[in-house]
Amino acid sequence: MARARHPKKEIEAAIRYAEANGWRVAVGGSHAWGTLYCPYNDAECRCGEFCITSIWSTPRNPGNYARKLRRVVDNCAARKRLANSVGGASDLE
Amino acid sequence: MEYEFTLSFKLAASEADTDTLIERLGAAGCDDALVGIGQSGRIALNFTREASSAQDAIVSALRDVRKAIPDARLVEAGPDLVGLTDIAELVGVTRQNMRKLSLAYPESFPVPVHSGSVALWHLSHVLRWLSDRGRYEIESPIMEVARVTMQINLVKEAALIEQRVRREVRDLVA
Repeated sequence: MARARHPKKEIEAAIRYAEANGWRVAVGGSHAWGTLYCPYNDAECRCGEFCITSIWSTPRNPGNYARKLRRVVDNCAARKRLANSVGGASDLE
Repeated sequence: MEYEFTLSFKLAASEADTDTLIERLGAAGCDDALVGIGQSGRIALNFTREASSAQDAIVSALRDVRKAIPDARLVEAGPDLVGLTDIAELVGVTRQNMRKLSLAYPESFPVPVHSGSVALWHLSHVLRWLSDRGRYEIESPIMEVARVTMQINLVKEAALIEQRVRREVRDLVA
């Protein structure tokens, strides 16, 4: 079954961007809409704290918030390592 | 003005489950922060907070978190302690460029707080140096944030000071 959509379209787009990069989404909460899980969150991961990131239902500034979510995906060290090993990040954008 | 900064906390062992904590953070007004729970026993909040000063932004954020999770203890306010890679990313230059600068001006480039297998600087000092040299346009919000995060970390660390040692060495290390 398809997951529920986030009510704010720029945040829904950021969540899809995370999903396209292998992140898993779990929906649930009240202030929280759901949670994002990095696919590489393992012992080797050095980024740590944002490998599991909560998503608000109604963030104060949806535009800022969507940018933050995308940046978490982009900053993932395992993803960067993977991108370098295939010769550049371009095919992951 | 909008100020961006990260506060990371250690949770008490007895703390409620993270879903509950996140709901409490939402109710306490932390809906302008991205909340990370990737490390067990820890919680990190990356804020973009609208306020009249960086100090107002960061202090009000600390208050909000205290209200939501009274037993959470601040681990670090950031960005403050940074390596060359972090500085390069924040300033928008390459790491090599940053490294070249640090080597080219040994007299004036800020001294790292720690140099070992990694070197760490207070971001505030490096930003001020870059800005004083006039070659780099450093935006004022990040200068302000770096100054305040450093102050907050210093206040937190000062709790570790032993007065007997302090009296004996303060003139020697000034």
